[in-house]
Amino acid sequence: MKRPTMLRVLAWLMGPLILFSIFCMSASAQSVSIEHRTVVLSGLCGDGATPGLVLTRLVTHALSNNEKEQVWVRRIITALKEGQLICNDSDQALINDGRSQLNAITLEAVLQKSSNPPYVPSMVIMRKVAITSAEVNLFSSDQSVRREAAEQIDKFYSLLDASVITQILKNEPDSEVRSMLTLALAKRGLKSSDKKDQLAAILAVSQSPSQASRTLLSNLLGDKNLTDPELKLASQTAIRHIDQWLLFANICSILFSGLSYASILLLTALGLSVIFGLMGVINLAHGEFITIGAYSTFIVEQLMKSYAPAYFDAYIFVAIPIAFCVCAIFGMVLEYCVIRFLYRRPLETLLATWAVSLAMIKSIQLLFGSQNVEFINPAFLNGGVQVFAGFVVTYNRVFAIILALLIFTATLLIIRHTRFGLLIRATTQLRDTARSLGVPAERIDRISFGLGAGLAGLAGVVLTQIASVNPSMGTSFVIDAFMVVVLGGAGSLIGTAVSSLALGEINQWIEPLYGSVTAKVAVLIIIVLIIQRRPQGLFTSKTRT
Amino acid sequence: MSFKQTLIKRQEFILVTVLLLIAAYMPLSNRFLDVVNPFHMSLFSINLIGQIICFAILAMALDFVWGFAGILSLGHGVFFGIGGYVMGFYLINASFAETKVLPDFMLYMGWKDFPLFFQIFKYLSVSIAMAVLLTFAIAGIFGFATFRSRINGVYFSIITQALTYALMLMLFINDLGLGGNNGMTGFRSLAGYKLADISTQIGLASVSCIVLAILYLLLRYIVKSSFGQAMIGVRDDEARLRFLGFRTDRIKLFAWCLSAAVAAIAGLLYVPQVGIINPNIVSPMLSVEIAVWVAIGGRGTLIGAIIGATLVNGLKFWLSAKAPSVWPFILAAVTLLITIGLSNGLWGGTLQLLSRSHARRGV
Repeated sequence: MKRPTMLRVLAWLMGPLILFSIFCMSASAQSVSIEHRTVVLSGLCGDGATPGLVLTRLVTHALSNNEKEQVWVRRIITALKEGQLICNDSDQALINDGRSQLNAITLEAVLQKSSNPPYVPSMVIMRKVAITSAEVNLFSSDQSVRREAAEQIDKFYSLLDASVITQILKNEPDSEVRSMLTLALAKRGLKSSDKKDQLAAILAVSQSPSQASRTLLSNLLGDKNLTDPELKLASQTAIRHIDQWLLFANICSILFSGLSYASILLLTALGLSVIFGLMGVINLAHGEFITIGAYSTFIVEQLMKSYAPAYFDAYIFVAIPIAFCVCAIFGMVLEYCVIRFLYRRPLETLLATWAVSLAMIKSIQLLFGSQNVEFINPAFLNGGVQVFAGFVVTYNRVFAIILALLIFTATLLIIRHTRFGLLIRATTQLRDTARSLGVPAERIDRISFGLGAGLAGLAGVVLTQIASVNPSMGTSFVIDAFMVVVLGGAGSLIGTAVSSLALGEINQWIEPLYGSVTAKVAVLIIIVLIIQRRPQGLFTSKTRT
Repeated sequence: MSFKQTLIKRQEFILVTVLLLIAAYMPLSNRFLDVVNPFHMSLFSINLIGQIICFAILAMALDFVWGFAGILSLGHGVFFGIGGYVMGFYLINASFAETKVLPDFMLYMGWKDFPLFFQIFKYLSVSIAMAVLLTFAIAGIFGFATFRSRINGVYFSIITQALTYALMLMLFINDLGLGGNNGMTGFRSLAGYKLADISTQIGLASVSCIVLAILYLLLRYIVKSSFGQAMIGVRDDEARLRFLGFRTDRIKLFAWCLSAAVAAIAGLLYVPQVGIINPNIVSPMLSVEIAVWVAIGGRGTLIGAIIGATLVNGLKFWLSAKAPSVWPFILAAVTLLITIGLSNGLWGGTLQLLSRSHARRGV
């Protein structure tokens, strides 16, 4: 038992040593920072006070120091803003926080309270305080605080401290804040009398293209005082550059929204593609399976909120299997009670499923009320990210796209590469042969119908994050979904994917120009025209019927 | 001849007689019978009958193409809506001529005076002709495109449903200048008769009955003719008929356009009786419901469609007032039962039952 003893001795020796050294270091850090703080605040009180310089020093102090010092700087600025700062008779700055007076440097309570009136900054200093406060807020770790601060700086751009902002720009992770700050810097540069500064500013503006920077430059061009041809040329080039970027950003945005619309179409049409495409059943109640999926998610969300609030954000993932199972069970019940009697009569199936959908909508209305259901989105799906200026991607759309792709791949794999998928294809392509080879066709029908309904339920889960959830939400999706399947070709999952991508993109390209209704009508006309050439849809599976 | 045989053999005669009797009874009972008399018909019930008769015409139009040519349209609301909107245009003209006050939606559009587009519909005869022509044009173009490329069965149904949906969304746009989501209302007179007058409303209901009778006879004649036989041929085996040298797409196109025109006439009659037209008339929901009426009554009989529409809408009016939350469930249950158990519908089932018992007695 030698080594443990050794270790223990070592620990006894080292422990106090380490503790002592930590104490010494922190003490020395403390004293260093006190010294710094004193320097920073000198000139705030007494004759010949230079508050402007103090403010500049405050920002520099915040810039070059740790979190603790930044908190202190913020405290001082708040005190300045709220009029809590008092200079006592020995020209020391005190902070009056209502109950007691604190030493502005150490933030410890002082025994001798001063009865002097609080320090009142002049108008100029007040504005300087505002921008200083914004500059200090840029060190915050909260993104929204930084954005607000950047806006503030943009407003008072003429007062900003260029060196500080340039310093901050180097470390700023958020591109929106970055572009705002760049713009503010550039505005300041444009006002400069030095031509070199102006040119640099124009270049900087063109580097952060946005609608705001474009307006800035075109205002500059429209200015009558601008006579220098070099400046004019530079700003014209910059505007052209910005226009190109804006166009590119616009194209990307439309492509992305087309993609996200396509993912919704794909999700809603996938189940239909299995039910209508493979089985040839017109299920007008398909939309209501989407609704049931959405309401299952709602129930899961409510349960998680009250019983497992710590894991609340995960409700969307918990809901995925639950919604799938609930809808699949409903689907199989529907198949067993109604659909199986109508396989040879597709038009009657249409009416019967319409009746089912009517009853389902009304039941959901009775159970949950007809108003929209409010969802709290998981934190990780809130907001979005600016990929580059003018092109923002929201997380919920990305989520929908990813999930649509995953679900599509999974369905494709099931149909193509599993035994169950083989049996489905066998039953739908040559039913009688399949049966005589011992395939339990009735059971396969039921399970495939359940699969289709379950896929609709998954669409419902995703739609809770994007669309409003109410009892009649399904009806608005089912017609579009049918169009996708008709265009893609019944029985072809690939066709469904391609046609939903095509319809989604076409829709989103027309919509910003001519409105959503025109887009819908145009899509319908396009479908009818395409079907003229390919009556069975884009991708036809070779089946004998 | 037994009663049952008479019923089967003389269906059309009986139906037309009943319709004409109703048409005559309504004004007489309202005018001459006392209010307390149980046979007295109030304006409300007469108005209701008039509306139901319009739905019956609509259902009959759908039965003509679905029951006989096998084309299930989920877009007959479109043609009903065209008829209704054209009648709306005419009625707005008429009330503007009277009051010289622009309707609200035109004020909203910022129009100073009555637009030229609406003045086309100044005369009733022109409006009716326009409604029929417009329906023929739209149904013709749509039918030509779809039948030529041999889109049939459920594909056709789905595309017509999408068409309905698109038209409804279009009509909901306020800037289109057709009344937007509020539609058109504030109608005052029709061909010089005040719409607020009891006599006008009774007249409209009676005219609806007579129109139904006439259209029934017309469609019945077509169905019984050789063309009707060709339609049934298309329904039962289109490919075989095509191989025999028939242009099945033209047969379907004609049946489709005729049916659409009948639906438009129903719309023309419907709007002055309800006094409002809005985009909900072309909602996909209503269009599917028409098919449900036909299925409940029994397709392929024409009379079945009339019975189905009358029964369902009568029940709907009655139950929507008494137990509004129960009605959809009843409709759903009836539809399910009939589609699964009684594919010939109520009237088809009755006929089957009658002829079977008759045949048995004959043996």
